[in-house]
Amino acid sequence: MDKLSKKGGFPNLSSPEVFLFPFSPLLLQGLTPSLLCCLCLNRSMDFTRPKRMLYFWIDKIRNVLLRLSWHLVHAIINLCYFTMGMVHGLESHLISRGLLRKYKSLHISKIHYLAIVIESEDACRTSNVIELLQWLAALGIKHVSLYDNEGLLKKSKDIILEKFNGAVLFQDTHENNVLLDQPQMTLEFVSFSDGKEAVARAANVLLMKYIKSGGTGSNQGEQIFTESQMSEALKTVGSGGPEPDLLLIYGPARCHLGFPAWRMRYTEIQHMGPLTCMTYGSLIKAIYRFTTVRQNYGK
Amino acid sequence: MEHFTLNHHGKGEEGEEEEEVDETLPLGLRREAIPRHVAVIMDGNRRWARSRDLHVRSGYEAGARSLRTIVELCCKWGIKVLSVFAFSSDNWFRPKVEVELLMSLFERGMQEDTGIFLRENIRISVIGDLAKLPEALQELILNLEETTKNNTHFQLIVAVSYSGQYDVVQACQRLALKAKHGLVEPGDIDTSLIEQELETNCSEFPHPDLLIRTSGEFRISNFMLWQLAYTELFFAQSLWPDFGEAEFLKALLAFQQRQRRYGG
Repeated sequence: MDKLSKKGGFPNLSSPEVFLFPFSPLLLQGLTPSLLCCLCLNRSMDFTRPKRMLYFWIDKIRNVLLRLSWHLVHAIINLCYFTMGMVHGLESHLISRGLLRKYKSLHISKIHYLAIVIESEDACRTSNVIELLQWLAALGIKHVSLYDNEGLLKKSKDIILEKFNGAVLFQDTHENNVLLDQPQMTLEFVSFSDGKEAVARAANVLLMKYIKSGGTGSNQGEQIFTESQMSEALKTVGSGGPEPDLLLIYGPARCHLGFPAWRMRYTEIQHMGPLTCMTYGSLIKAIYRFTTVRQNYGK
Repeated sequence: MEHFTLNHHGKGEEGEEEEEVDETLPLGLRREAIPRHVAVIMDGNRRWARSRDLHVRSGYEAGARSLRTIVELCCKWGIKVLSVFAFSSDNWFRPKVEVELLMSLFERGMQEDTGIFLRENIRISVIGDLAKLPEALQELILNLEETTKNNTHFQLIVAVSYSGQYDVVQACQRLALKAKHGLVEPGDIDTSLIEQELETNCSEFPHPDLLIRTSGEFRISNFMLWQLAYTELFFAQSLWPDFGEAEFLKALLAFQQRQRRYGG
């Protein structure tokens, strides 16, 4: 009542005392339609609070369900990868035992040059490297390039050559782009310095020749250098090895970690997983797959 | 393929007044693991046509549709750059009729999609030995690059008449010209100077994070040889015209797995 008199006949709509008004005999006697409207409005505004709470909890539950779905999808994906890993492991075991017929005869002659890329963290595991080389030798692979980004394999070169009887260094056997037929396996040790850095050194060689020749070809569009000139320059700086037919990557990431890119235009690339998980069966499978490939070379 | 809108931070109702772009990610993808630059070797168009007893033209047209789909998905999922190997230096040795067909398809595609590139704020860059292309196509490319050069939402790099070895040689050539004009000292060429002159320097992110090659072939075929040193390689079995959202998602998830293994 006081609030009515103070406010000039209109109640304070936010006041809880307004709820009492419907029960006041004075109100029952003197309520105007507009006042009734105000009361209804006040009641509906108070009803929005539970509604807001309801929307809040619906939103919360929705977010929780979405997150659970997201985690479920991830779990399913991880399970798929795990299952695939188990299947590959089993297949590799069967191949190693010679139980799968199609892998028994490999056309090894298709592989003239094989490259192995090893993650630098595993490059110091010389026993694994030697075991891998022994497998390759047993299969009849004659020419192998060993690469790791940091050059750790280069540092272990002497140990590897000593423990792997009969292997010779690549540069002693390579003449005029032809891989000489050797009874022993040839090994090439390669690192990042033979990749991009070698291209930079070769570019300097080409530049020197260009300047000495008087620098003809002054327009931007004219061809100053050719790809074969770059190949020759790479040989000059000692990084002109042949293009591998097949490159096997032993590491956690499916990338070639900077293997001399100039040499891998048409190289088949296979990711083998970490070196510590290498198996004879997976090696056979990779080589078999390569021997079934047919390349068009873009034509 | 159905996917949900997921705000990864559980927020979104208040206070996030950032981009207007709708970055809807499929369930399973983490926003922070989305690659910035994806490269694609679009292989398998001819095989796709042959398997359906269609003319090779149909294969290339289906391939173009597939490319549009992937561009849309890249824009939607927040990938900033897509490079596609459309025509290699070796492809010039294909039958003349087929080469002319491809050139006409490039020309038509660029003309028809110019409006889309402008509307969607897409920048187009074309890399490769463009001097070998028909003059009309060269002019169209130059105009399109100029018209879209200030677009910032997404960049599509199309490699035409391109090879990785060509890219390295032309970079060395540019450096030779700079040396001739005294801008570079002989003997000072190093890997970073070469990188600056590669044709992919047209991009803010010149090195692909992920390379996808379709049609089940496991090689890079002279594409971006320099730039792919640390790129995750994903070899998809499907032919390019069949490569759609599901396969693309698979490739991105594989890249995501590498992020977990390698942290790279």
